Amino acid sequence: MTSDIDPILASRLDRRDFLRYAAILGGAGVLAACKKAVETTPPAGGSASASPRPSVDQEPGILKVFDWDGYGNDTYGDHVLWKAYAKKYPDQKPKFILFKDDDFGYAQVANGARYDVVHPCAYRWPDWINLDVLQPWDTSLISNFGDLNPAFVEGGKVNGRQYFVPLDWGFAAPMYRADKVQPIEDSWGLLWDERYKGRISWWDSLNMFIVAGYFNGVANPWDMTDQELQAQKEFLISKIPLVRALWPVDPTPDVLNGDIWITYAWPVHWWAAKDYGSGKGLDVVYMNPKEGRTSWNCGMALFKDTPNYYHAHDYVDAWASAASALWLVTNDAYGHTNTTLDLSKVPQELVDAFSLDDPTALEEPHSHVERPIRRRDVYNQLWGEVKAAG
Amino acid sequence: MSTGQATASSNGREARRRHLRTWPGTVGLLSPPLLWLILFFLIPIVIVAAYSVGALSLFPTTQGVSFFDWKHFLSGDSIYIGLFWKSVRMSLTVSVIVVLLAYPVGYFLALVSGKRKYVLLLLIIVPFLTSYLLRVLAWKVILGSEGIINTAVVTLGLRDADHPVQWLIYSQFTVILVLAYVWVPFVALPIFVTLENLDRSILEAAGDLGASRWRTFWRVTFPMSLPGVGAAFVFVFIPTIGEFVTPSLVGGTSGFMYGNAISDLFTQGLDWQTGSVLSLFLVVVVLVLMAIFGRFVQVRSAGAG
Repeated sequence: MTSDIDPILASRLDRRDFLRYAAILGGAGVLAACKKAVETTPPAGGSASASPRPSVDQEPGILKVFDWDGYGNDTYGDHVLWKAYAKKYPDQKPKFILFKDDDFGYAQVANGARYDVVHPCAYRWPDWINLDVLQPWDTSLISNFGDLNPAFVEGGKVNGRQYFVPLDWGFAAPMYRADKVQPIEDSWGLLWDERYKGRISWWDSLNMFIVAGYFNGVANPWDMTDQELQAQKEFLISKIPLVRALWPVDPTPDVLNGDIWITYAWPVHWWAAKDYGSGKGLDVVYMNPKEGRTSWNCGMALFKDTPNYYHAHDYVDAWASAASALWLVTNDAYGHTNTTLDLSKVPQELVDAFSLDDPTALEEPHSHVERPIRRRDVYNQLWGEVKAAG
Repeated sequence: MSTGQATASSNGREARRRHLRTWPGTVGLLSPPLLWLILFFLIPIVIVAAYSVGALSLFPTTQGVSFFDWKHFLSGDSIYIGLFWKSVRMSLTVSVIVVLLAYPVGYFLALVSGKRKYVLLLLIIVPFLTSYLLRVLAWKVILGSEGIINTAVVTLGLRDADHPVQWLIYSQFTVILVLAYVWVPFVALPIFVTLENLDRSILEAAGDLGASRWRTFWRVTFPMSLPGVGAAFVFVFIPTIGEFVTPSLVGGTSGFMYGNAISDLFTQGLDWQTGSVLSLFLVVVVLVLMAIFGRFVQVRSAGAG
């Protein structure tokens, strides 16, 4: 992989090529972080059915999509993401069932819920494979598949079969109101800066253990020892009195109404607080902390018993298009794995905020790719203790 | 056979015939609610109980039935016991405040408002035809850092714009305030019904015997309305002890309650065994409280009668 990257680093980057290269690098990170965990987990069945499949015309057609809150409910005009699908099937609008986070979605399916398509993130992919509810995609049915970044695509394979079609990626970092907050330095430490007691919000997620770990110099916060975990728990408990609220879905309303000045945020929160670059939003900064941002990527998976096999492929094909990629980058400030996206159409502000012209932005140590947490149950239990101490 | 024995035997046969005649009706009437209770109360509780001891589990496991989580929870080492008492304190506070606020409402409707009482009752309930979420979130507009109250405080020069009154939102105070707002109209209903059914001649008799209105209230009206007050208290205490939506919306970090812990264990932590232990414990507590309150209300009703 390094030999592939060297020429890129040596050359002056064209902005149009940003996603191709940045995603390759980011994808390499994702691959390194997730591929081992996925491949060492034996796929529990999940091969495509050998029985004759009904044709697309014989399928029920109303696709059930299990997706993150924010996608599918069209609050932000996100129907553009599957516009090509809507054009092909004008009378068969998908039915969206939304989850607030990966854990919630995973719990639903683990408890028996079944849909056609699901949109989990990479750090959870091994768990999804272990549930034995998925089947691999037939990538020949996805016309835009060849345009997707190969490094990300590789990360979506399990034993050579494409169980996940990676599509979106992004960062997590502290966000603050520049008119109210003067950070001493660019650091995750702003999330527990005592000068701003009562103006801070954290994400209601065990990812707070990860950022605390990076802040406190833990070598691998994704797999901490008992001693390290205990230290982070005590650290977070000592800091939670500074925190006004934990956000489960979206911190933006609290930032907009002035209750919160500093928050753990995803790019979409920063972009929404800025009113999507209209100039009418708040003066907010998406920080690049010295400890590094964290980054993530998510992809579509296909349920093994779906009666809408071809519809599901067409839906993902629509999501994988360059048009969808442009919408995702310019509206949600997230990255997309489609490498044919014309970056000259992306606002410069977005390019600068996410270092889109810096191919190393997604690499360690600038960014830490989200990866499976081996002892997730312990992290969760300790996170519960942190919250109970609030 | 004596005449008495013959009469008794005849009465017994008559009773059995009556019983047989009414039996299908009784079964017909009881079946739907019984079926409902079995399907949506007893069976779910049995399932939760099975999860709580590991007889059922979310993921395949080699661990068999285990009472470890119960033991850990009841040993007092668990953080959740502390949260439970926090929720009990919060719920008791809310219940007392709500009953105190609802009693005058019920009293006014039943004994003062005359013919307009049902119109007024309807008006009180009208806001509750809108979404619960909307009503709770509306409080954010009122109590937020740049909300109506803080804007007034800043405008009056009582506070700097960057230092508004912070405890108005995302605090235990907010949770209590919002829950009280939500429950007062509902809790006023049982109090209203009790006062509405009071025998007015007793109140008139108290007046005829020279008691002042204040004395009549404390010696006659209030004691006779205690069953309604007890029912009202239970009406708000039981749902709020497991409340998690309102705390998660307006409680902030200090508003994290026992109900939130249960919700987290099922959805975020995926620890259904501990979540089931906490849920079942709450069910048992509520059942015990209902039994106690039920006894209290019955005794007071009999006394009032």
